[in-house]
Amino acid sequence: MKVTNKKVPVLRRGYVQEEDAAKLILGDDFQEEQCLFISEVKILLDAQRESKTSGDKNVTGVYQSAFDYVNQFARFKNQDTVREVRQFLAEENLESFEVAQLANLCCEEAEEAKALIPSLALKKDDDSLQSLLNEMLTLKKFQT
Amino acid sequence: MFFLKKLKHTITLHPRFFGPDMEDFVKTKLYQDVEGTCSGRYGYVITVVEVLKVGKGKLIPGLGSAEFDVEYQAIVFKPFKFEVLDGVVKNVSKMGFFVDVGPLVVFVSGHAIPSDMKFDPNGNPPCFQSEDQTIEKGTLVRLKIMGLKMEPTDIRAIGTIKEDYLGMIGQ
Repeated sequence: MKVTNKKVPVLRRGYVQEEDAAKLILGDDFQEEQCLFISEVKILLDAQRESKTSGDKNVTGVYQSAFDYVNQFARFKNQDTVREVRQFLAEENLESFEVAQLANLCCEEAEEAKALIPSLALKKDDDSLQSLLNEMLTLKKFQT
Repeated sequence: MFFLKKLKHTITLHPRFFGPDMEDFVKTKLYQDVEGTCSGRYGYVITVVEVLKVGKGKLIPGLGSAEFDVEYQAIVFKPFKFEVLDGVVKNVSKMGFFVDVGPLVVFVSGHAIPSDMKFDPNGNPPCFQSEDQTIEKGTLVRLKIMGLKMEPTDIRAIGTIKEDYLGMIGQ
Protein backbone atom coordinates (compact mmCIF):
# COMPACT_ATOMS: atom_id res chain seq x y z
CA MET A 1 0.00 0.00 0.00
CA LYS A 2 1.25 3.44 -0.83
CA VAL A 3 1.00 5.78 2.08
CA THR A 4 1.33 9.47 1.57
CA ASN A 5 1.07 11.30 -1.70
CA LYS A 6 1.32 14.61 0.00
CA LYS A 7 1.38 16.90 -2.96
CA VAL A 8 -1.00 15.26 -5.36
CA PRO A 9 -1.00 17.18 -8.61
CA VAL A 10 -4.20 19.01 -9.25
CA LEU A 11 -5.84 16.90 -11.89
CA ARG A 12 -8.60 19.22 -12.86
CA ARG A 13 -9.93 22.59 -11.91
CA GLY A 14 -11.79 22.51 -8.64
CA TYR A 15 -10.36 19.16 -7.64
CA VAL A 16 -10.29 18.89 -3.90
CA GLN A 17 -8.25 16.20 -2.27
CA GLU A 18 -10.10 14.58 0.57
CA GLU A 19 -8.51 14.93 3.99
CA ASP A 20 -7.73 11.69 5.75
CA ALA A 21 -5.99 11.62 9.11
CA ALA A 22 -5.34 7.88 8.82
CA LYS A 23 -3.13 8.49 5.77
CA LEU A 24 -1.77 11.79 7.12
CA ILE A 25 -3.42 13.87 4.41
CA LEU A 26 -4.38 17.07 6.15
CA GLY A 27 -4.97 19.36 3.20
CA ASP A 28 -2.77 22.17 1.93
CA ASP A 29 -3.55 24.50 4.80
CA PHE A 30 -2.47 22.18 7.58
CA GLN A 31 -0.01 19.74 6.05
CA GLU A 32 3.09 21.62 7.19
CA GLU A 33 1.70 23.18 10.34
CA GLN A 34 2.85 22.59 13.87
CA CYS A 35 0.51 20.26 15.77
CA LEU A 36 0.06 20.98 19.45
CA PHE A 37 -0.40 18.44 22.25
CA ILE A 38 -3.50 18.98 24.33
CA SER A 39 -1.09 19.52 27.23
CA GLU A 40 0.66 22.31 25.34
CA VAL A 41 -2.62 24.01 24.56
CA LYS A 42 -3.39 23.87 28.26
CA ILE A 43 -0.10 25.55 29.12
CA LEU A 44 -0.68 28.26 26.52
CA LEU A 45 -4.24 28.91 27.62
CA ASP A 46 -3.28 28.96 31.29
CA ALA A 47 -0.60 31.54 30.57
CA GLN A 48 -3.17 33.70 28.82
CA ARG A 49 -5.93 33.16 31.32
CA GLU A 50 -5.17 36.25 33.41
CA SER A 51 -5.35 38.72 30.57
CA LYS A 52 -8.41 37.04 29.09
CA THR A 53 -10.62 37.07 32.11
CA SER A 54 -9.54 40.31 33.76
CA GLY A 55 -11.81 43.32 33.57
CA ASP A 56 -15.03 43.27 31.62
CA LYS A 57 -13.77 41.06 28.85
CA ASN A 58 -15.90 37.99 28.47
CA VAL A 59 -14.52 34.90 26.87
CA THR A 60 -16.15 33.28 23.89
CA GLY A 61 -18.02 30.00 24.06
CA VAL A 62 -15.43 28.35 21.85
CA TYR A 63 -12.64 29.49 24.16
CA GLN A 64 -14.44 28.25 27.27
CA SER A 65 -15.27 24.84 25.83
CA ALA A 66 -11.70 24.41 24.59
CA PHE A 67 -10.41 25.44 28.02
CA ASP A 68 -12.60 22.87 29.77
CA TYR A 69 -11.60 20.24 27.24
CA VAL A 70 -7.84 20.68 27.60
CA ASN A 71 -8.14 20.69 31.38
CA GLN A 72 -10.00 17.41 31.23
CA PHE A 73 -7.71 15.67 28.77
CA ALA A 74 -4.21 17.09 29.26
CA ARG A 75 -2.10 14.00 30.04
CA PHE A 76 1.01 15.83 31.14
CA LYS A 77 0.27 18.44 33.70
CA ASN A 78 3.65 19.98 34.07
CA GLN A 79 5.67 22.03 31.71
CA ASP A 80 8.97 20.16 32.08
CA THR A 81 7.34 16.80 31.38
CA VAL A 82 5.70 18.16 28.25
CA ARG A 83 9.05 19.46 27.08
CA GLU A 84 10.71 16.10 27.72
CA VAL A 85 7.99 14.20 25.86
CA ARG A 86 8.21 16.61 22.94
CA GLN A 87 11.97 16.22 22.90
CA PHE A 88 12.20 12.47 22.83
CA LEU A 89 9.34 12.10 20.35
CA ALA A 90 11.09 14.59 18.07
CA GLU A 91 13.97 12.13 17.72
CA GLU A 92 11.71 9.46 16.30
CA ASN A 93 11.37 10.71 12.75
CA LEU A 94 7.60 10.89 12.86
CA GLU A 95 5.24 13.45 11.41
CA SER A 96 4.04 16.23 13.65
CA PHE A 97 0.51 14.85 13.52
CA GLU A 98 1.58 11.38 14.70
CA VAL A 99 3.68 12.82 17.50
CA ALA A 100 0.74 14.84 18.79
CA GLN A 101 -1.67 11.90 18.51
CA LEU A 102 0.77 9.68 20.46
CA ALA A 103 1.04 12.23 23.24
CA ASN A 104 -2.70 12.97 23.29
CA LEU A 105 -3.96 9.42 23.31
CA CYS A 106 -1.23 7.95 25.55
CA CYS A 107 -1.72 4.36 24.41
CA GLU A 108 -0.33 1.57 26.53
CA GLU A 109 0.22 -1.12 23.94
CA ALA A 110 1.76 -1.06 20.50
CA GLU A 111 -1.30 -2.83 19.08
CA GLU A 112 -3.55 -0.11 20.43
CA ALA A 113 -1.36 2.67 19.08
CA LYS A 114 -1.31 1.10 15.66
CA ALA A 115 -5.09 0.68 15.62
CA LEU A 116 -5.71 4.31 16.59
CA ILE A 117 -2.93 5.87 14.50
CA PRO A 118 -2.76 3.56 11.45
CA SER A 119 0.11 5.42 9.78
CA LEU A 120 2.44 4.28 12.59
CA ALA A 121 2.17 0.65 11.49
CA LEU A 122 4.29 1.28 8.40
CA LYS A 123 7.00 3.23 10.14
CA LYS A 124 7.64 1.35 13.35
CA ASP A 125 7.79 -2.28 14.31
CA ASP A 126 6.03 -3.42 17.45
CA ASP A 127 9.10 -3.55 19.67
CA SER A 128 10.38 -0.06 19.01
CA LEU A 129 6.87 1.35 19.26
CA GLN A 130 6.33 -0.45 22.55
CA SER A 131 9.56 0.86 24.06
CA LEU A 132 8.58 4.36 22.95
CA LEU A 133 5.18 4.05 24.61
CA ASN A 134 6.78 2.66 27.75
CA GLU A 135 9.12 5.59 28.00
CA MET A 136 6.25 8.02 27.57
CA LEU A 137 4.19 6.24 30.23
CA THR A 138 7.13 6.35 32.62
CA LEU A 139 7.40 10.09 32.12
CA LYS A 140 3.67 10.37 32.72
CA LYS A 141 3.82 8.28 35.86
CA PHE A 142 6.60 10.28 37.45
CA GLN A 143 5.41 13.77 36.66
CA THR A 144 4.98 15.94 39.67
CA MET B 1 -6.10 18.28 16.37
CA PHE B 2 -4.89 21.55 17.79
CA PHE B 3 -2.54 23.62 15.66
CA LEU B 4 -0.48 26.74 16.04
CA LYS B 5 -1.23 28.51 12.81
CA LYS B 6 -0.34 31.80 11.17
CA LEU B 7 -3.38 33.51 9.78
CA LYS B 8 -4.25 36.77 8.12
CA HIS B 9 -7.18 39.03 8.64
CA THR B 10 -8.20 42.43 7.33
CA ILE B 11 -9.49 44.90 9.87
CA THR B 12 -11.60 47.88 8.87
CA LEU B 13 -11.26 50.77 11.28
CA HIS B 14 -13.59 53.76 11.54
CA PRO B 15 -11.90 57.18 11.32
CA ARG B 16 -12.83 58.04 14.91
CA PHE B 17 -10.20 55.55 16.09
CA PHE B 18 -7.39 57.16 14.12
CA GLY B 19 -4.73 58.54 16.42
CA PRO B 20 -1.93 57.53 18.72
CA ASP B 21 -3.67 54.38 20.04
CA MET B 22 -4.63 53.15 16.65
CA GLU B 23 -2.62 49.95 16.82
CA ASP B 24 -4.28 48.96 20.08
CA PHE B 25 -7.69 49.45 18.51
CA VAL B 26 -6.67 47.28 15.60
CA LYS B 27 -5.55 44.52 17.96
CA THR B 28 -8.68 44.71 20.11
CA LYS B 29 -10.80 44.55 16.99
CA LEU B 30 -8.80 41.56 15.78
CA TYR B 31 -9.47 39.68 19.01
CA GLN B 32 -13.17 40.52 18.76
CA ASP B 33 -13.38 39.54 15.11
CA VAL B 34 -11.52 36.25 15.00
CA GLU B 35 -11.58 34.63 18.45
CA GLY B 36 -14.33 32.09 18.75
CA THR B 37 -15.05 31.99 15.04
CA CYS B 38 -15.25 28.83 13.03
CA SER B 39 -14.74 28.22 9.36
CA GLY B 40 -14.65 25.05 7.33
CA ARG B 41 -11.18 25.86 6.10
CA TYR B 42 -9.36 26.63 9.33
CA GLY B 43 -11.64 25.11 11.95
CA TYR B 44 -12.24 26.80 15.28
CA VAL B 45 -10.03 29.77 16.14
CA ILE B 46 -9.68 29.38 19.89
CA THR B 47 -7.41 32.23 20.78
CA VAL B 48 -4.91 34.64 19.28
CA VAL B 49 -1.49 33.94 20.77
CA GLU B 50 0.47 36.71 19.16
CA VAL B 51 -0.07 39.55 16.70
CA LEU B 52 2.87 39.29 14.33
CA LYS B 53 2.43 42.22 12.04
CA VAL B 54 0.02 45.09 11.62
CA GLY B 55 0.24 46.36 8.08
CA LYS B 56 0.06 49.98 7.01
CA GLY B 57 -3.47 51.30 6.97
CA LYS B 58 -5.05 51.94 3.63
CA LEU B 59 -7.95 54.34 3.26
CA ILE B 60 -10.98 53.06 1.46
CA PRO B 61 -11.91 55.61 -1.22
CA GLY B 62 -15.25 57.23 -0.55
CA LEU B 63 -15.62 55.93 2.98
CA GLY B 64 -12.90 57.37 5.16
CA SER B 65 -12.37 54.08 7.00
CA ALA B 66 -9.01 52.38 6.81
CA GLU B 67 -8.13 48.78 6.19
CA PHE B 68 -5.28 47.03 7.97
CA ASP B 69 -3.86 43.68 6.96
CA VAL B 70 -2.97 41.88 10.16
CA GLU B 71 -0.90 38.71 10.49
CA TYR B 72 -1.34 36.77 13.67
CA GLN B 73 -0.64 33.44 15.24
CA ALA B 74 -3.56 31.55 16.70
CA ILE B 75 -4.42 28.26 18.33
CA VAL B 76 -6.90 26.57 16.04
CA PHE B 77 -8.76 23.31 16.45
CA LYS B 78 -9.58 21.42 13.31
CA PRO B 79 -10.98 17.89 13.19
CA PHE B 80 -10.00 15.53 10.38
CA LYS B 81 -11.72 12.53 8.90
CA PHE B 82 -10.58 9.27 10.57
CA GLU B 83 -8.89 11.11 13.41
CA VAL B 84 -9.19 9.52 16.86
CA LEU B 85 -10.28 11.92 19.60
CA ASP B 86 -11.33 11.82 23.24
CA GLY B 87 -14.48 13.56 24.39
CA VAL B 88 -17.17 13.87 27.04
CA VAL B 89 -20.68 12.51 26.46
CA LYS B 90 -23.19 15.34 26.63
CA ASN B 91 -26.48 13.82 25.70
CA VAL B 92 -27.83 10.30 25.25
CA SER B 93 -30.97 9.36 23.33
CA LYS B 94 -32.22 6.20 21.68
CA MET B 95 -30.82 7.37 18.34
CA GLY B 96 -27.30 7.57 19.68
CA PHE B 97 -25.31 10.09 21.71
CA PHE B 98 -23.58 13.45 21.38
CA VAL B 99 -19.97 13.94 22.45
CA ASP B 100 -18.29 17.27 23.21
CA VAL B 101 -14.76 17.41 21.85
CA GLY B 102 -13.83 20.91 22.89
CA PRO B 103 -15.89 23.26 20.73
CA LEU B 104 -16.88 20.46 18.38
CA VAL B 105 -19.96 18.30 18.87
CA VAL B 106 -19.74 14.79 17.44
CA PHE B 107 -22.80 12.61 16.98
CA VAL B 108 -22.38 8.87 17.40
CA SER B 109 -25.37 7.12 15.89
CA GLY B 110 -26.84 3.85 17.09
CA HIS B 111 -25.33 2.07 14.08
CA ALA B 112 -21.85 3.13 15.14
CA ILE B 113 -22.19 1.66 18.61
CA PRO B 114 -21.14 -1.97 19.17
CA SER B 115 -24.16 -4.22 18.79
CA ASP B 116 -23.87 -5.67 22.28
CA MET B 117 -24.55 -2.23 23.78
CA LYS B 118 -28.26 -1.74 24.41
CA PHE B 119 -30.08 1.50 25.04
CA ASP B 120 -31.68 1.61 28.46
CA PRO B 121 -34.38 4.33 28.47
CA ASN B 122 -35.34 3.64 32.09
CA GLY B 123 -31.87 4.23 33.43
CA ASN B 124 -31.24 7.39 35.35
CA PRO B 125 -29.68 9.04 33.41
CA PRO B 126 -30.54 7.18 30.16
CA CYS B 127 -27.57 5.17 28.97
CA PHE B 128 -26.12 2.64 26.55
CA GLN B 129 -25.04 -0.46 28.37
CA SER B 130 -23.17 -3.65 27.74
CA GLU B 131 -21.54 -6.09 30.11
CA ASP B 132 -18.29 -4.19 30.44
CA GLN B 133 -19.15 -0.58 29.66
CA THR B 134 -21.82 2.03 30.30
CA ILE B 135 -22.16 5.22 28.32
CA GLU B 136 -24.19 7.95 29.96
CA LYS B 137 -23.97 11.71 30.33
CA GLY B 138 -20.49 12.66 31.52
CA THR B 139 -18.72 9.46 30.43
CA LEU B 140 -15.33 9.95 28.76
CA VAL B 141 -15.21 8.21 25.40
CA ARG B 142 -12.66 7.70 22.66
CA LEU B 143 -14.12 7.93 19.17
CA LYS B 144 -13.10 8.06 15.57
CA ILE B 145 -14.44 10.75 13.25
CA MET B 146 -16.13 9.18 10.25
CA GLY B 147 -17.61 12.18 8.51
CA LEU B 148 -17.44 15.95 8.62
CA LYS B 149 -19.70 18.59 7.20
CA MET B 150 -18.29 22.05 6.97
CA GLU B 151 -20.88 24.75 7.29
CA PRO B 152 -20.04 28.45 7.01
CA THR B 153 -20.08 29.00 10.76
CA ASP B 154 -19.99 25.53 12.18
CA ILE B 155 -18.60 22.05 11.74
CA ARG B 156 -20.81 19.00 12.12
CA ALA B 157 -19.25 15.64 12.72
CA ILE B 158 -20.32 12.03 13.06
CA GLY B 159 -18.20 9.45 14.80
CA THR B 160 -18.01 5.79 15.61
CA ILE B 161 -17.01 3.70 18.62
CA LYS B 162 -17.55 0.39 16.83
CA GLU B 163 -13.87 -0.47 16.42
CA ASP B 164 -11.09 -1.90 18.52
CA TYR B 165 -9.83 0.32 21.35
CA LEU B 166 -12.68 2.82 20.98
CA GLY B 167 -15.46 3.46 23.46
CA MET B 168 -15.46 4.24 27.16
CA ILE B 169 -12.15 5.34 28.64
CA GLY B 170 -11.36 3.61 31.90
CA GLN B 171 -10.16 6.01 34.55
